[in-house]
Formats: sequence, structure tokens, C-alpha cells
Amino acid sequence: MTVLMEIKDLKVHYPIRSGFWNRITDYVYAADGISFTIEAGKTYGLVGESGSGKSTIGKAIVGLEKITSGQILFNGEDVSKPSVRRKMKYNKDVQMIFQDSLSSLNPKKTIYQIIAEPIRNFDKMDKESEKQRVIQLLDIVGLSKNAMFQYPHQFSGGQRQRIGIARAIATNPKLIIADEPVSALDLSIQAQVLNFMKRIQKELGISFLFISHDLGVVRHMTKNIAIMHLGRFVELGTREDIYNNPQHIYTKRLLSAIPQIDIANRDANKAKRAQVEAEYQEKRSHFYDQDGLAYPMHQISDTHWVSTPPTNISEGAGK
Amino acid sequence: MSEKNETQVQQSVQGKVPEIKDGAVIVETPSTWRTIKREFLKDKVALVSAIILAVVFVTVIIWAFFIPRSAVTNVNIIDQYLTPGTQGHLLGTDEQGRDQVKMLIASARNSLMIAFMISIIGQFFGVIVGLITGYFRGIVDTIIMRVIDFWIVLPFLMIIIVLVSIVPKYNEWTLIWIIGLFAWQGTTRLIRSKVLSEADRDYVRASKTSGSSNFMIMFREILPNLASLIIVDTTLNFAGNIGIETTLSFLGFGLPNGTPSLGTMVSAATDPTVLATKPYVWVPPVIFIIVICVGISFVGQVFRRAADARQRLG
Ligand SMILES: Nc1ncnc2c1ncn2[C@@H]1O[C@H](COP(=O)(O)OP(=O)(O)O)[C@@H](O)[C@H]1O
Ligand SMILES: [Mg+2]
Repeated sequence: MTVLMEIKDLKVHYPIRSGFWNRITDYVYAADGISFTIEAGKTYGLVGESGSGKSTIGKAIVGLEKITSGQILFNGEDVSKPSVRRKMKYNKDVQMIFQDSLSSLNPKKTIYQIIAEPIRNFDKMDKESEKQRVIQLLDIVGLSKNAMFQYPHQFSGGQRQRIGIARAIATNPKLIIADEPVSALDLSIQAQVLNFMKRIQKELGISFLFISHDLGVVRHMTKNIAIMHLGRFVELGTREDIYNNPQHIYTKRLLSAIPQIDIANRDANKAKRAQVEAEYQEKRSHFYDQDGLAYPMHQISDTHWVSTPPTNISEGAGK
Repeated sequence: MSEKNETQVQQSVQGKVPEIKDGAVIVETPSTWRTIKREFLKDKVALVSAIILAVVFVTVIIWAFFIPRSAVTNVNIIDQYLTPGTQGHLLGTDEQGRDQVKMLIASARNSLMIAFMISIIGQFFGVIVGLITGYFRGIVDTIIMRVIDFWIVLPFLMIIIVLVSIVPKYNEWTLIWIIGLFAWQGTTRLIRSKVLSEADRDYVRASKTSGSSNFMIMFREILPNLASLIIVDTTLNFAGNIGIETTLSFLGFGLPNGTPSLGTMVSAATDPTVLATKPYVWVPPVIFIIVICVGISFVGQVFRRAADARQRLG
């Protein structure tokens, strides 16, 4: 159980600019005091509805977004500065898979050029080994080596996402951030790509931070789940904690939103959803502060953390 | 085809490693050249324009090569204003008694070359500045864009005339650079707005996490995606620059004496008698300018449609 990455009180506030000179007039608190730990070889799920700040956290971790405050420790070293990251070739070890597979592959480059890019920049190889490595990577993600000479638009969505995976694993990284990697794909192809990622994660022993807006998808990917809302974590725990013993009204709401293919109990499910929604509306002022933001989390068991108002810890946890 | 291919993999992957190595699904997206060809076939006017332009350009460039400098500089008052067809002068002669056909070819060569050079200069600086401000954004972008907003509203024709008059050693390169000074701002704006949207695409982020430098990302990742935009812009600017150079030469602030230009030829019409009684002196260059500029804009429209799928005809 080695700690690979530690995120401490991470804040990313986006300035909102306006006016003739583009002056900063306000901020979006996209990530606001996030702390968690990633252990080597483990998969973590980060769930929340769209706009809750998941991508922001992912981008901050790979170094695509400047952080406002806090620390990101990788193997104990603070990597929040670009100069530090460049010197230690940080992205050789920390990679990302993007949501939109078409947008994430340059339409003017061949698949070979796309996959070889991180290899060229991080592992100095001769031409022949580079080529062998690209062929090997294509093989790992189940594409024939002829794909090398083709362009992204010649592939289907699922194949493109596998090309994105091949690029992400090209330099044998230790951590991959997968930002909603299947949410843009057809339902029938989602399972296929998810299985690929799971297999690669196991075989190569890579840590994954799996970002999704869908608790139903995350359930298949990981045992460790964090729920976030409006820039803050509201609940963190194991799969059992989250699915069988949800404490926060927002978690309950996300759970009730998982689509059910259960025709017999359709009406019952609908009633359940309405009840959860009513509870959410009723208790909102209790679970969120006067600005509508979540309170800090408190530990309620070995593995389970939940955001509760400071005065009513026992009441919030006892339910 | 695509459906079938995916489902095969889908089945084989359930639970274990897929055995089938699938290649690219043939989702045929036509190449840029094919699209351009199709757009030309759909737009007969543009096709005819393109053919005329090609014939004219090739003729002008090759023929001008065989015209001696003396043919456009020698003055021979005796042969002044010969009407077309006399003494073997197909289009007659001008005030200095020079053959109008040779003058037209030599002038067209100069005007086209100068407009071409200005377009290249404008594109070069426009693309580089647009890439830098659009990619890095921030304070540099704000400042440069404010300067350009200001620059674009300047009365540039007047400023060019002043510069042309005060520059001491003056030749066609001076003119090219002076006009070029005002030829890149529009391109910068256009490129910048495209770069702003390109830089926000995930392939740029992926390139960053793949360890590529900003320089590499700007020129190797983003620039190729601007290619069609640059072609369209160059084409349309080229026509515009022919207009600017001929206007200046017409006004007497363009090419120096001894370097014939279409604008200088047209300026013969400023003499009221020539304008009224000797149309064969000034009509040919006017027709030439109109044909070239209209033709280029038709061809430019085809390039634009080919570059932007939403405007396509077929
Ligand atoms: N570059 C940016 N500038 C300003 N606001 C941004 C930027 N990127 C994201 N945001 C805002 O930050 C919030 C979180 O966004 P994001 O991290 O993309 O959420 P998620 O991935 O959970 O959908 C949103 O309100 C979004 O509008
Ligand atoms: Mg997102």
C-alpha cells in the first residue's frame, strides 16, 4: 500500500473577466478544498453531476490547469509548479484519457504520429523500437497495425477511444485520469471500452482516477468512490458505503437517478425517485451552508466520510 | 459496415481479450482535394474562372519573360497613340508609342507579383501573430488586439501615400513592405479567433500531457488545422492586394517610373481626350483587372465552401 499521490486542500478558482480591459470581476469556485489520496495500482471513482468540478480536478492533477492553492504531492514531491513537472517528466507517469475521443485526436495526424508523440518526448527510442512499441500498443487495445497509417476520422467512436487509451499508456504511466471516457459513446460500446480499461488497469498495475457523472457506470469500475457537488466532496467511501449506506442527500439523489430497466417496478421506482427528490429539497438548507456549498467532511467509519453541518454530526450520521 | 465491425468486437470482448484485430471502419470522409473538385463541378462559373485565371497567369508569367526591358521603357513619340491593328500593334500603342500588348503583359506580371508578395507577407505575419495571441491569450493578447483594433480604423491609403512620398530610396520592394505593413491585421484577427477555438480542443491538451512544447503545439498541431482557412484568406487577400497596388499606381504613388503597372496604364485615362476618344489605351487594363479580381473571388468562394462544410453546395 504505497501512497502514489496526495492531494491536499486543492483549490482551483477560475477568474471571470469582463469589460474593456478584461479585468477579473469574479471567480468560479470549480474546486474548493479537495483532499484525497491515491494509492499505487488502485482505481478511484469521482462522481458528480455536470459542472460540479470533476474535470477541473482531473486537469489540475495532470497539470493542465493552474491551481489556485493547495498541494499535489506525487511520490512525496510537490508537483504543483510547471517547472518541477517538466524537470521530473511528470506526464510520463501521469496521463489522461479524454471524454470526447474525436476532439482528443488531432484530425491532421496519423494514428502513428498520435501514439508516438509521448514516446518521442519522454522515452528516447530509435525509429525501429518506436515503431515496434506503437504496433505493440495498437495490439494491446485490439487494433491492427494497419491503423498506424490512418486518420482519426476513419475510426468509430469506440475505436478512437481505444487509440486514446493506447496513447495514454504509451509511456507506462503510474496514474491515468480517465475523464468520462465512455459517456460520449453508444451504450453498446461503453461496456467494451470499460472492459478494456479494467483489463489494462489490472495487467499493467496502473492507478486510475475514473471520472463520471453516472454512479451506475462507476460501480463496475472501482471500489473507492468520492461524490462531489459544486466544487466540494460531499461523501467518500467504499462501494458498499456509497451504494448500501449513503448518508448525504446528494448521494441519495444520484443513486436514485441511475436508470433502471425494471419494468415490473417502474411505478415503485418512480415514487421512490420522487420521495428522494422531496427529501433533497426539504433538507437542502440543512446539508449546505448559507452560500449553498457543502460543509467539510467528517469520518463516520474506517472507510466512510460524509459532509455534515458542524453542529449536527451525530444526527447527520445516525440515519 | 461500421455497425457490424463494432458488434463483432463487442461480442468477443465480453469478459476477455478480443481476438479480432479490427482495422479502420471505412467511414469515408472525402479528402480536401476531392471536396474542392466537387465544389468546382457544382459551380460552373467558378470552374470557368479557375480555367481563365490559370491560362492568364501562365501566359503572363511566361510571356513577360520574353519582353525586353527596352520595350516598356523606350519612348517613341512618332508611334504615339496608334490605333489597334496598325503596324502590327494588336492593341495599338500608348502615349509613349509603346506596344500595348507588351505593356499589358509586363504590367500584369508586375502587379500580380507585387500583390502576391504582399499577400505572402500579410499571411506570414498574420498567421504568426494570430497563433501567438490566440494560443497564449492573457495580457499580451489583450494588448495586441487593442492595437489591431486601432490600426484597422486608420486611413491606411493616406498613410501609405505619405510613407511612399517620404521614403528616400524607393523601389518595388519598398512599396511591397509599406503595403505589407497594413496587410496582416485582418488575417491576425481571423487566425486568432480560429486558434482560440482550436486551442480549447482536447487534442491540444493531449499534446501538452504528451510533453510537447508550446512551440511544437502551435506549429505542428494547430497550424495544420488552419490550412484551409489560410488558403481561403490568401486567395481573397490576393485579389484585394491587386486592387490596392493598382489604385496606388493609378494615383501616382505606386510603382516607381520604369516599372509598369496595370494602375499606371489605367491612369492614362485621367487625360480627358484619351478617356473620351482613345478607349483602346485604358480599356484593356481595366478589363484585365476586373476579370482577374472577379475570377479570384469566385474561386475563393469555392475554397471557402470546401473549407467550411456548412456552406457546401453538394
Ligand atoms: N476555463 C474555465 N473558465 C471558467 N470557468 C470554468 C472553466 N472550466 C470550467 N469552468 C467552470 O467550472 C465549473 C466546473 O467545471 P468542470 O470541472 O468542467 O465540471 P465537470 O467536469 O464536473 O462537469 C463549471 O461551473 C464550469 O463552468
Ligand atoms: Mg467534465
